[in-house]
Amino acid sequence: MNIEEAVKLHRTYYCLDCGVCTGSCPVSRVLPSFSPRLIVEKALLDLGDELLKDKDLWSCLTCGRCFERCPTKINFPEFMRNLREEAAKRGIEPTLTHHGMLQTVMELQTQGVKQKKTDWAREAGKIADKGDVFFFVGCMPYFNVVFRDLGVDSLTIGKNVIRILNAAGITPVVSDEEACCGHDMLWNGKPEVFKKLAGKNLELIRASGAKQVVFSCPEGYYTFKNHYPQYFGDLGFQVVHFYDYLEKMIADGALKLQNGAGSYTYHDPCRLGRMAKIYDSPRSILKNLAGSELKEMERNRENAVCCGTTGWANCSSCSKQIQVERLKEAKATGAQTLVTACPKCQIHLSCALANLDTKLEIKDLTTLITESMATA
Amino acid sequence: MTREMLDLLGIDSKRLELQWVSSAEGTRFAEIVTTFTNRIKELGKSPLGVAA
Repeated sequence: MNIEEAVKLHRTYYCLDCGVCTGSCPVSRVLPSFSPRLIVEKALLDLGDELLKDKDLWSCLTCGRCFERCPTKINFPEFMRNLREEAAKRGIEPTLTHHGMLQTVMELQTQGVKQKKTDWAREAGKIADKGDVFFFVGCMPYFNVVFRDLGVDSLTIGKNVIRILNAAGITPVVSDEEACCGHDMLWNGKPEVFKKLAGKNLELIRASGAKQVVFSCPEGYYTFKNHYPQYFGDLGFQVVHFYDYLEKMIADGALKLQNGAGSYTYHDPCRLGRMAKIYDSPRSILKNLAGSELKEMERNRENAVCCGTTGWANCSSCSKQIQVERLKEAKATGAQTLVTACPKCQIHLSCALANLDTKLEIKDLTTLITESMATA
Repeated sequence: MTREMLDLLGIDSKRLELQWVSSAEGTRFAEIVTTFTNRIKELGKSPLGVAA
């Protein structure tokens, strides 16, 4: 899609030039030279070549804070995604983080490898090859290897989900052959790789006979909910977020949370909050933990701030500053624990915390739930 | 770490070898390469790109 088509598709010519986007942008606050308004303006003024070569194209966190507030509802993140596709076609790429290792994994998954990555799931509990409920694990087995040094064990989240589902009497399907959901490839401007990954996943899930696919990862959930139907039409199964699923299980009495005393603050992931509009179920679960106290950060729900970097690209001093500010905000609530709901938020915020002397605990919501069950 | 990643991807980590050889150790270099080549021959074709 060229710039002109992207302008038409997202109707950026409705821009009122009000600057609410730039005023809301977490990147612009730190890097004043970055301006969503200016990017829209340049696209309208036919300065496409300049725009595509500009590194600012990859500085956008695609967090959607601008879109949330735009009076003419211009979907700036999707507009950026389309511009990135065009830039990538011309051979312009973002600066990949972690030596591009994670992108390499994603690309290799389209090359006919037979993955072996479910040993941990069998250790955690009961899983099946076929069944009604498919648990889409996502990239956590790989994160676990790459980010162990940060003290973040991403696999804990996956293990917790299996334990919680098992406790509620559900044996989920977990598959070795599951590929990356394609989220990062999509936002790195590579829709062809996304389509290959997504096609593999759809084939796999359909063959499993699952009626519901449960996601704990917000990116996987949002990508399946939003982009898969865009590219593939009706999926033939229901896409459910784990916290929505859990909220219902708690309401039905299938799951009881006993313990959980402590004060918590909750960090809304961009994909789960602003993009998928899931704000309430994680909060409701937190409040359900006996003895828990939820202290909101100043910027919460649709005003929440991104964890600083996305798509394993362009982690910069700007990302670090956003993360440090976010951690200070969490600390200022007086809560002992910052609760995350996305493996990437957990990794990014833990990375920033490692360099600070702030005393704060970062925990994934699934961990709190599992702990609350363990003492039941 | 790379070995662990390869194992998860289902690529036998025996296909990866890392050794430091000084320029004065010609014999050792030949030995290592020969052993590794034989190992790869034994393992046969890699799964990569066979059934994309």
